[in-house]
Amino acid sequence: MHASIAGLAPVIIFLVFALVLAVWARRKAAAAGDGGFVKEYFIGNRSLGAFVLAMTTIATYGSVSSFVGGPGQAWNIGWGWVYMAGVQVTCLFLLYGIMGKKMALISRKTGAVTVIDVIRERYQSNAVATIAALVIVLFFATTMIAQFVGGAKLFEYVTGYSYTLGLAIFGIAVILFTSIGGFRGVAVTDALCGIAMIVGICVLAGGILSAGGGYENIMDTIATNHPEMMEPLSGGNMPIGLYFTQWLLVGIFTFALPQSLVRTMGFKDTKSLHSAMIWGTVIIGAMMIGVTALGVLSAGVLTEPLDAYGGSVDNIIPQTIVVTLGSISPWLAGIAIVGPIAASISTVSSLLIASSSAIIKDLWLHHTEAKGETLGDRKIATASQAITLIIGAIVFVLSIVPPDVIWKINMFAFGGLETAFCWTFVGALFWKRANKTGALWGMVLGVAAYCICMALGFKIFGLHQITIGLTVALIGFIVGSLAGKPSDSKKLAIFFG
Amino acid sequence: MQAPKHLSYKEKLEQATKEAKATVVALVAVIAVWILLGFGLAGSDITLFHTPIWVLGGTVGTWIFTIAVCVFLAKKVFMDFDLDEEEVDDAR
Repeated sequence: MHASIAGLAPVIIFLVFALVLAVWARRKAAAAGDGGFVKEYFIGNRSLGAFVLAMTTIATYGSVSSFVGGPGQAWNIGWGWVYMAGVQVTCLFLLYGIMGKKMALISRKTGAVTVIDVIRERYQSNAVATIAALVIVLFFATTMIAQFVGGAKLFEYVTGYSYTLGLAIFGIAVILFTSIGGFRGVAVTDALCGIAMIVGICVLAGGILSAGGGYENIMDTIATNHPEMMEPLSGGNMPIGLYFTQWLLVGIFTFALPQSLVRTMGFKDTKSLHSAMIWGTVIIGAMMIGVTALGVLSAGVLTEPLDAYGGSVDNIIPQTIVVTLGSISPWLAGIAIVGPIAASISTVSSLLIASSSAIIKDLWLHHTEAKGETLGDRKIATASQAITLIIGAIVFVLSIVPPDVIWKINMFAFGGLETAFCWTFVGALFWKRANKTGALWGMVLGVAAYCICMALGFKIFGLHQITIGLTVALIGFIVGSLAGKPSDSKKLAIFFG
Repeated sequence: MQAPKHLSYKEKLEQATKEAKATVVALVAVIAVWILLGFGLAGSDITLFHTPIWVLGGTVGTWIFTIAVCVFLAKKVFMDFDLDEEEVDDAR
């Protein structure tokens, strides 16, 4: 596709609008002026209402992988992939229902503004907190690279401008508005991103249905060309084991993802949580089922073998946008790519602010407080924004040479984070016997087993390595907790009453 | 509009744990419905808009059921209480 300013314009307009929103959020926070810099910058003064809470959780969870890699796989596999993607409808109600109120109560009681604050308070261990912070920075960086790469590849494919230009445009924009707006800015721009994602899905759906001669015609084409795509097991391409592990990875254990958990510390009241749970489930279902279904439907438009589209499923959605919308109007194609780019930057912004909080709040501030030093808000503010900028810049540079197959990188990071934090948080909130020995053993052994098995490609019964990571982490957590000294009963009262 | 309930900090934590348990039970129900409406209908030849019924059941059906579960939890199981009520808690 030739480079066209009309294709670029919707992306630029969207990014400028997001930047304006971040500045507005910053000014609003400054005007409110209560709670101090750290509480405002990293948790938005616990002021999220239902709509922003739901949208920021969805936008953080829904990444470029949901918009490009997943639908690309659906083009290849068929309706079984959509059936599997449907398990994501459980993400919000599990997060809010299991963790929401306890996290809100405990973080208010202890003054925690990061998930690691909660871990530190519960396990009374600097070692556990430091390892948790490092795990967060490592896996968040991995996820951020996947987001940057996915967004920039899509930009290049659809607009005709270079990968590096795409990376520069939205990379710089997201780093800037995250540094400026902090958690509140990220939450507000996430809401904007969520809306942009829905608009992008609708525009692309219109393009596919129009190019394919209508829904029923597309379904007939798929049934004729690839009858196996109409079966749940897709002629063996979609084994039961994959359903099982995807339920774990993108369904059940997503409630333990720290980037989602931190949102349960930022809502303003229980009514907001209840409404966010209902409306968030409506929106996440429409989004995840809808966008993955578009991948299948694109098989009624892109009917050649995968090699004809560059040999990678990551090219399917960009190619669909070009074929179905680019030929009609570069503007429409530009609007369609705002959706996945919004998914990309909303995930990056959330991970960036959480990584920054891990370094500033959980490592640096804790270290200075332990030494008896007190830092002023101005110094903390400068350092927080500088660290946000630096992490963003490092990830940006690492994204200049892109890795392949975005959804696999994303799933690797998801698995690592769930392995590290699932039992650590479940134990912290729901098991009195859990202690720092268990948390340490579970986290270290689980993450090590997961990463080693991923590196070696080792699987048991063909299941994804998350099953090994979670199992080892659980065993380490239970054995360590039973072997270690019980937690202080005064501290337990904060978590159990 | 109904006012939030006044509970002690301990009671709030107990209520939150109760809600977490109810959520896990709800998850089991959603998984069962997902299996029934997806794999369970996979043998059927029924189609709607040229779409196999298992596709609609396993995706849209599960989604609608999950929304219904969320409404039930929010209205019947979850309790509305004040999260910032420390002074009252301390005085009790």
